[in-house]
Amino acid sequence: MVRLWQAAAVIGAAIFCAFLSNRAAGPERRLPWVGDYPDARTVPVLLSAAAPTAVPSASRPPGVPGASTNEYPPHPDRPWVAISGDQALSLQGQGIPFLDARRTAVYLEGHIAGARSLPIWESTVDDGIKKLYEEGYDVNAPLVVYCSGGDCEDSHMLAERLHRFGFNNALVYTGGFPDWEKRGLPVEKGAPR
Amino acid sequence: MKSERSWWRSPWLSIRAQIGLGAIFAAAAVPKILDPPAFAHMIYNYRLLPGSAVNAAALVLPWIEIWVGAALILGFWKRTAAWISGAMLLLFVGALTVNLVRGNPVNCGCFDLHAKDRPKAELLADMRWTIVRDAAILLLVAQVLSVNRKERRIGP
Repeated sequence: MVRLWQAAAVIGAAIFCAFLSNRAAGPERRLPWVGDYPDARTVPVLLSAAAPTAVPSASRPPGVPGASTNEYPPHPDRPWVAISGDQALSLQGQGIPFLDARRTAVYLEGHIAGARSLPIWESTVDDGIKKLYEEGYDVNAPLVVYCSGGDCEDSHMLAERLHRFGFNNALVYTGGFPDWEKRGLPVEKGAPR
Repeated sequence: MKSERSWWRSPWLSIRAQIGLGAIFAAAAVPKILDPPAFAHMIYNYRLLPGSAVNAAALVLPWIEIWVGAALILGFWKRTAAWISGAMLLLFVGALTVNLVRGNPVNCGCFDLHAKDRPKAELLADMRWTIVRDAAILLLVAQVLSVNRKERRIGP
């Protein structure tokens, strides 16, 4: 028979150690005890409900050099819309901020030139979003969010978080960093300058 | 029959099964303790827990693993540690099986939290292999429990 007090002691010691180690961890390794993510069990439903949708274009196809950001109107009714690599390139040319949702260590290994790190899985993410506010960034202006492409959901999760903070124009670059690299577009390594 | 039973419960086998099981749990815990966000991401990908519970699980589970591992390696509370390790293995097998049935490929997150993206078919094959591996580890649990039951019966 399992001695219940021993099992309780093991679990209690584990909780105590977890508390101490989390407290001692740096911001990149620390976790809030209560996760602030979309319900993991329903994420596939959420993603399909907000399936990648073409960004409405006012007068000309997005991605055309010189395309205005007016082509990307705010979308307060949904957290994000998807954009292609061509659109992402065009937006970068217009100086639209790029937000990298991947872990800091991955960001340091290589990221889209000029992108800012907002790792959704790290405790610094909310501070990063608040910083956007402090810098006076217009909540209705476009923000390009990306991660590792493919099945990566980090960019969608970051877009949802931004949406909850009041940012109404997150554009998810679904191809993400692998697509950008494949196109031979400018990348940077290390911390942002 | 009797010799088979005595081989299964031999002290030679028992000490190795106990230390092996403890080492597996301790080795699995270390990368998770060093990088809780990566483990939280792995747990999230299993799509079994509500988003609010993911972080707490990522913080506490590795420490349970390390305490179980320490108990088995150092030889205290062996039976309790073996029961907890068995329960955790069954939990892992169950989580993998549910996702196999769903066709949702996940990285196991058992020892390596930074696995590169791989094709879906490869991930699903790995999940099957991991279930077989966990079943083999469950044999170690059974061995440790059976020996400790014997010791209890003949003890003072």
